[in-house]
Amino acid sequence: MRRHLLASATVAVAALSLAACGTTEPSTDDAAASAKPAGKITLTDDKGTKVTLDGPATKVVATEWNVVEDLVALGVAPVGVADVKGYTAWNTSAPLTGSPKDIGTRGEPSIDTVAALAPDLVVATSDLAPAVVKQLRKVAPVLEVKAADASDQIGTMTNGLDLIAKATGKEDEADALKEDFEASVTEGKKALADAGLDGAEIATADGYEASNQVSIRAYTSGSLLGAVNERLGLKNAWTVEGDEAYGLATTDVEGLTGLGDVHFPYVANDVDGDTFTGPLAKNAVWKSLPFVKAGNVHRLPDGVWMFGGPRSMEAYIDSLVDALTKK
Amino acid sequence: MAVIDKTAVGRDRTAAATTGAVAVTATLVLLVAVLAAVDITQGTADVGASQVWDALTGNAEAGDASVVVASRLPRMVAAVLVGLALGMAGSALQAVSRNVLASPDTLAVNAGSYLALGVLAATGTTLPLLASSGAAFVGGLAAAAIVLGLSGLGRGTVRLVLAGSALALGLNAATEALLLLFPQQTEGLYAWNQGSVGQNGFDGVAQMAPVIAVGFVGLLLVARRVDALALGDDAARGLGVPVRGTRVTTVVLATLLSAAAVTLAGPIGFVGLCAPALVRPLARRFRGLVRSRLSMPVAGLVGAALVLLSDVLLRAVVPADTAVEVPTGVVTTVVGGVFLVVMALRARDTASAEAPDRLRIPGRTAFLVTVVVLAVVLVGVMVAAVLLGDSKLLLGDVVNWAQGRAGRVVTFVLDTRVPRVTAALLAGAALALSGTLVQAVTRNPLAEPGILGVSGGAGLGAVLLVTTVEAPGSWAVAGAAFGGAAVTASVVFGLAARSGFGQNKLVLLGVGVSAAAAALISLVIVLSDPFDTTRALTWLSGSTYGRNMPDVVPVAVVLAVGIVLAVVRRRELDLVALDEDTPRLLGLGLPRARLGFLVAAVLLSSTAVAAAGTIGFVGLVAPHAARALVGRRHVRVVPVSVLLGALLVCLADLAGRTVIAPAQLGAGLMTAVIGAPYFVYLLVRTRR
Repeated sequence: MRRHLLASATVAVAALSLAACGTTEPSTDDAAASAKPAGKITLTDDKGTKVTLDGPATKVVATEWNVVEDLVALGVAPVGVADVKGYTAWNTSAPLTGSPKDIGTRGEPSIDTVAALAPDLVVATSDLAPAVVKQLRKVAPVLEVKAADASDQIGTMTNGLDLIAKATGKEDEADALKEDFEASVTEGKKALADAGLDGAEIATADGYEASNQVSIRAYTSGSLLGAVNERLGLKNAWTVEGDEAYGLATTDVEGLTGLGDVHFPYVANDVDGDTFTGPLAKNAVWKSLPFVKAGNVHRLPDGVWMFGGPRSMEAYIDSLVDALTKK
Repeated sequence: MAVIDKTAVGRDRTAAATTGAVAVTATLVLLVAVLAAVDITQGTADVGASQVWDALTGNAEAGDASVVVASRLPRMVAAVLVGLALGMAGSALQAVSRNVLASPDTLAVNAGSYLALGVLAATGTTLPLLASSGAAFVGGLAAAAIVLGLSGLGRGTVRLVLAGSALALGLNAATEALLLLFPQQTEGLYAWNQGSVGQNGFDGVAQMAPVIAVGFVGLLLVARRVDALALGDDAARGLGVPVRGTRVTTVVLATLLSAAAVTLAGPIGFVGLCAPALVRPLARRFRGLVRSRLSMPVAGLVGAALVLLSDVLLRAVVPADTAVEVPTGVVTTVVGGVFLVVMALRARDTASAEAPDRLRIPGRTAFLVTVVVLAVVLVGVMVAAVLLGDSKLLLGDVVNWAQGRAGRVVTFVLDTRVPRVTAALLAGAALALSGTLVQAVTRNPLAEPGILGVSGGAGLGAVLLVTTVEAPGSWAVAGAAFGGAAVTASVVFGLAARSGFGQNKLVLLGVGVSAAAAALISLVIVLSDPFDTTRALTWLSGSTYGRNMPDVVPVAVVLAVGIVLAVVRRRELDLVALDEDTPRLLGLGLPRARLGFLVAAVLLSSTAVAAAGTIGFVGLVAPHAARALVGRRHVRVVPVSVLLGALLVCLADLAGRTVIAPAQLGAGLMTAVIGAPYFVYLLVRTRR
């Protein structure tokens, strides 16, 4: 029995190794030296690393959705995107162009897949583990963009956009995007002021449910949406402290009782279901909240990515202004 | 006259016992009431004691009243119900299996229920709560049936827990795998594999309360028969108690209770194990508590007090808003783990070592064939692991790469893949060797770095360093892991050594410490970086993702030293594993030998954890399987076990990298998913 096992194992291994012989790629001896395009690009990323490119990057891989959005908005079709399905559901402001390859999850992108794509630039955010960035550097130059910074979200967003634009030679497009965003802010601010909402209190949120417990995530003044709220002349009503990067805080239904008479826009997605019209609808605390009674709860349309780039923020502004001025 | 006197004394005793038991019950009810009162004054809204009082007396503003009614009271009631259900269930399971380690946790009931709920969530099925609890019940019952069926009721303490914890690990791994496969649908608290008693209104409580009531009353009704079972199956039959029927009924009712608790709040760890353990010493003082009819509800009360206490402590220590993010289960597990350690120390019961499994002793040829086959298979898996992945390579690519003349893509792929394969191989081998050493030293087939909390401590040490220091080096991580492992190992082994390594005591200590360590890892990550579940999963379930070559150097060095040590000291290992007296007779310094092997084992598992996260199961399965294959002499067990460990983790890593590529599953999840069925098979085989 054992002998048989041994024999068959040997045969199997031999057969497999024969089948696995050969190469999938010629060795470097055979590979022709590729021609060097003129115009080197040198830039320093948000982690202080000097990144040198032979020219504007065209085969770009992005590991986070905000940088994916920036690329798409700049007119660069990324060749690799983390969690394509999730991006498609959560970010409709800048739909993917081309047919990018899925490189796995945002937290653990597959280095194998990225390497197989042979990109000439990988755009990552500071959320990616340093060990992984180190590995990616062997594959291609890596541009590390700051994911978020609660002290200056909009500046962080535009800086990231500029960095990516520089690396891909799309600086004009970046300027246009920033102008569009500013125009959108001015327009929104005016529309809100016209409706008498200048200085109105606002609390942007999202929520999720697990084991009968509803958790609500507060987009405090340190969050990107909170920062945009302020630019629109609104006042963030959250009193809870957000984290240092994303400016988010978690609370429960009770925690909403301190909010008072505010506007309460929230983000939900049909992929996950709507916590506020679902599990919370019958909750006595929720129903007793002044802004719920006053009908000031607004669901924002699906696909406004809360941590996205200028395009997402324009979509946020448009839908927010719509929701608040509708009455 | 004398006869009459005796009865009088007997009656007095019974009366005293009943009074004592009633006093205990009353005290516990009071304790639960006080804790409940404190609990409802805590929360994120600005509603303190006086507002709660106003609300309860009907004088509060509408807002405050609704907070109390829709948030505080449901949470408090849920905590009481969950604690009650789990405490009762644990007590009943322990009584019916005559096993102090039986509980919804160790019988995999919670894990089964949780997996069933996870499947529902992942498939996007939204059922009414009662139907979900039905699914949870089925899942829990199936798990309990497998565990009890395999181990045989009341047939051996260790065996039962062996089967139960193996299955629980496997099921939890499956749930975590689901979480990774369907991240959108299963977001939130699922990430922590820990439950929380917070409630959205009274709906959940109102629907689950009748279910819990059914279980409660049902258990009280069978309590008398359960007591008869304690006398032994034959005696019980002699009293006319249907043994089989009683067992089945009790297990079903206990499962019902735990399924309801899991549906209501997710898995709240350890309450079912701790509550009865706390009642037992009470029962020694107050004899009335010996009877199940009383001891089961009392265990329920203790359970309720435990859950409430955890909730109260959490909200008292952590700011209200942060407390929302910390699952209650994390706290009960830490509290429960500590309690378990204390109880294990107090307990006089240290079941003697089981007779070693009867194993055939295969000949030299069989051993050599086994080693060769394993080595060949391992080489095959290694080759496959290097070639397979998101991009498939061929052997010629590897040859080119080794000679440094591979093309761009091949170089990139292999540069990142080879360290992962190496990490998996070495970590697996190190964990297997560590398990072999620990099992030999403790003479305990259950002892394993994972179950004994050594891996957990290593993970905790590493996580503490990783969350506080920006980008620490590989040796620093390994050092921190060793520090954590050394602490937990000294606690577990030190305390166990004081009582001569009693089987139950050691495992009990280890289970407590390892669960507490895992919960603390969750806690550290929740508090430091609540939105980074990837990191949490890496440290809780093991992964070779993102490993570079320098990361595997520590484990490689330690493994080399460890293997040399094990080979040179193979005879001492055999003697230590034999019994207490033989080594002494032969002039071997037992304590020193033990300490040496244990230090080696801790070093091995902590460097393995630093290289690949907390990978469970390997240290349990590999030595066990090795002994089954080649007998118990360590000159044979060590190489076979090391090969098996390397094979298992390498295979797990390969599967984890390829099954859902480009997304990844942790190697630890895969070892559990692969290891659990294997282990179950092993149990079935040895049952004959």
